[in-house]
Amino acid sequence: MRIEYLAWRIFYSLLAFVISVTLSFVLLHAMPGDYLHVILPHLAEKNPLATELFREQFGLDKSLFEQYVLYVLNVLQGNWGYSIQYGLPVTEVILEKLSWTAVILLPATLLSIFIGVLIGSYSGWTSGSLGDSFIFKIMIFLGAVPSYWWAIFLILVLGFYLDLFPLGGYMSITALDEGMKLHDVLYHAALPIVALTLTTVPGVYYLMRNSMLMIVGQDYILAARSKGLSEIEILLRHALKNAMLPMITLFAMELAHVIMGSIFIETIFSWPGMGFLTFEALRVRDLPLLQGIFLMDTLIIILANIAADFSYPLIDPRAKVGEIG
Amino acid sequence: MLEIINLKTQFPSPDGLVNAVDSADLQIEDNERLGLIGETGCGKTVLGMSIIRLLPPSTRIHGQIIYKGRDLLNLKEEEMRLLRGKEISMILQNPTTSLNPVLKIGDQIAEVIQLHKDCNRKEAKTKAVEILAAAMIPEAPKRADQYPHELSGGMKERVMIVMGLASQPSFVIADEPTKGLDSGTKAEIIRLIRDMTSGRSMLMITHDLAAAGEICDRIAVMYAGELLEMASAKTILHDPQHPYTQGFINSLPSRGLLPISGSSPSLIDPPHGCRFHPRCPWAMDICRREHPQIIKLEKGHFSRCFLCA
Ligand SMILES: Nc1ncnc2c1ncn2[C@@H]1O[C@H](COP(=O)(O)OP(=O)(O)OP(=O)(O)O)[C@@H](O)[C@H]1O
Ligand SMILES: [Mg+2]
Repeated sequence: MRIEYLAWRIFYSLLAFVISVTLSFVLLHAMPGDYLHVILPHLAEKNPLATELFREQFGLDKSLFEQYVLYVLNVLQGNWGYSIQYGLPVTEVILEKLSWTAVILLPATLLSIFIGVLIGSYSGWTSGSLGDSFIFKIMIFLGAVPSYWWAIFLILVLGFYLDLFPLGGYMSITALDEGMKLHDVLYHAALPIVALTLTTVPGVYYLMRNSMLMIVGQDYILAARSKGLSEIEILLRHALKNAMLPMITLFAMELAHVIMGSIFIETIFSWPGMGFLTFEALRVRDLPLLQGIFLMDTLIIILANIAADFSYPLIDPRAKVGEIG
Repeated sequence: MLEIINLKTQFPSPDGLVNAVDSADLQIEDNERLGLIGETGCGKTVLGMSIIRLLPPSTRIHGQIIYKGRDLLNLKEEEMRLLRGKEISMILQNPTTSLNPVLKIGDQIAEVIQLHKDCNRKEAKTKAVEILAAAMIPEAPKRADQYPHELSGGMKERVMIVMGLASQPSFVIADEPTKGLDSGTKAEIIRLIRDMTSGRSMLMITHDLAAAGEICDRIAVMYAGELLEMASAKTILHDPQHPYTQGFINSLPSRGLLPISGSSPSLIDPPHGCRFHPRCPWAMDICRREHPQIIKLEKGHFSRCFLCA
């Protein structure tokens, strides 16, 4: 590991971070309307004093530049501000929703990676076969269907007509008396997880299939065949590890996206996660909360990239940290 | 040991059938090492791959390849797989791309031993280090623990040879084992192959006539998918009868580097008559009209040329 590389890496990460924070700050403040006007339009119109007080309270009367400097200074001191909507520290609100998002996104992402890698390698390994073209066509179809369509379809068929799953929410009404039960939450999480998995699998599948296609024709696969290994042994021992190398960044990014939640799925299923939170915050112009969410997303993406870079050398003996990327 | 009868190997391509091997007849006796030489693209590798049956599924192969009484071309893929590595092994052409970059050298060798020698992983690894050491590879235990990119070209070639012979197969196909090596390393590799393959049958594919002369008992010369001449190594080196073989020998650095004029013909639509006639200094009328058969000149010496008739 070279110090120089590390320094550059940190420098670029900081740069990306600053640019992203600035951009989201400017863009968010360029949005028309504020919390008061969205939530209480009549009060805001009838009582100019209330508007003034509100603006003063949240520092909206200061110049944009002043607000920006104050915001950055506060963030650097670990103070991410207060959510207007919840009246709680932004970090507290985010952490609460984050755990709910993880309940559906983590399983969905891990499942997509697992399934995508499994069928992607099979498809790439047997490219041109009946099985491959069958899977490939299904994946084109899956990839063309948006997540909210799956959500609506699943709710309608499995939830409404067949009445096998709840229509939305994250726990049953009985939880009010009996307290939260794990199986109840999982029961509610099932459809969102399926919808998310269906939408994420094709991306992983395509990349894995392509990656495997590159490996099939390699000389060392031929060499493995000449040793008398069976196809499955060659696939598992020789092909898979090589084919996984280009996938690491994708895995890191997919896992980073867990943090962001899914706006469509969470909104449709009324799931109290980050996607839902983002959507609501956007709707009511809860700027401090939005700013906090974007800040965290930026951090996670940057960290995921670094993690991907540093894990390459662990599985590829040829790579050394600092010689790629 | 191995008898190839009228072997034709063709690849369908958008421009037509590529006749990579055309009507080849060849025998290799027990404990015999046969060299196969010819210029690039003439079909040497394809001939080797046809024996061990590692060509793409679209390949058309006709003829017979009799190994220990069985026709390899009639075996089911699963039966063939059981022979690969155990009875018939192949040392592939390019060690840099033929070694798996993410697996340790020792594991790649141990894999063959474990598969064919009925021992566990640990024993196989110990055995791998032993044969690496026997192949005069310095610091064998350390090498076994390294990845291919940490080894020099010569070292990788040794590993390929060791790997190809680790399961003590009775028949080995070695594809250009001396390619791209400096002369010192080449001499060591030649010695290694000679030592490790004694008592086995081998088909050694090479551009390197000198190496073939040192290792092989007999040499077959291939041109545009056809076998043109076959004789003892000594005869091919010192008394070649076919104009192509003569030209090939004159193009060696030690014989003045005189290249054969012209370029290798297309394998899709080879020249009529003798395939070598457009480049042959002695070409006669008949060479343009008729396709010469391979004929026996004297005991063990065959040539496909009207001049020799
Ligand atoms: N899978 C394939 N599909 C189509 N054509 C092929 C295939 N494999 C080989 N060929 C063609 O067959 C011919 C013979 O190739 P081969 O690799 O046997 O040559 P070679 O004598 O081994 O040459 P070199 O000395 O360069 O290794 C070449 O023209 C090559 O393009
Ligand atoms: Mg070749």
